[in-house]
Amino acid sequence: MMRSVILLSAFALLTSAAFAHHGWGSYDASKPVTVAGPIMTSKFENPHATITVRGNDKVWTVTLAPPSRMSSRGATEKVVAVGQNVSAYGYPSTVEKDEMRAERITVNGKTYEMR
Amino acid sequence: MTDAAPAVFVALEQSSFAAAIRQSLWLYPAANIGHIVSLTFFAGAVAVMDVRLLGGLAATSPACLLARARSFAVAALVGMALTGCVLFSAEASHLALNPAFQLKATLVAAGLINVAIYEVWAKRAVERLAPGASMPARAKVAGVLSLGIWVAVAACGRSIAYF
Repeated sequence: MMRSVILLSAFALLTSAAFAHHGWGSYDASKPVTVAGPIMTSKFENPHATITVRGNDKVWTVTLAPPSRMSSRGATEKVVAVGQNVSAYGYPSTVEKDEMRAERITVNGKTYEMR
Repeated sequence: MTDAAPAVFVALEQSSFAAAIRQSLWLYPAANIGHIVSLTFFAGAVAVMDVRLLGGLAATSPACLLARARSFAVAALVGMALTGCVLFSAEASHLALNPAFQLKATLVAAGLINVAIYEVWAKRAVERLAPGASMPARAKVAGVLSLGIWVAVAACGRSIAYF
């Protein structure tokens, strides 16, 4: 019995490092960006809604929140539909080129938190 | 969606079934919750079986305890498979290329092979034993492998989001 307990504890310790929070590791929070412009494409889908936005110099892919959270905060599919003008504040990806993850977005003067 | 994945996964992700999962407000989160709840039941049942195979819970009859725990483990495994299919379909092309998912799938196969080897090679000897009798080495090997593999499967599952 004791041996089983020791074994279980060892496995728990070995694997605990993998149970970090589903965080923002691949986004650079030290270089926040604001992308403002019209929405070119919109996918209101799980696990995260995504839009592409024509910014000043390039088209950004903006990763938003899960659709259920966005809906409950009023940021429905219509709010982030193609053609809407959006301002997205967030952090650029360190992995995907021209992708950012939004902390919050503003559409028609209304701001929606994504976290 | 990524075209770099094998065509079968691209087709699965493009299917109306997968689209319905992504577009439903509740289906994906529900499958996510169901997957984790099934995992907790599976981990509990497997831990009871593995601890018994390693000689713990020695006062119990191996046959009775293992049969009871096995029915929970099988039900939970079915739950994980069903909810896992839902989660996988939504992002099939990316998951097929995700190294953490690939390792997880390999480990699931290894875990099931370990079960099959135990069933053929050790089960009969183990379930004949009276309470308190010492376990044969082959049972202990199966128990250690099972614990290690299934814990690693869980760790890989959580790691998919980071690779």
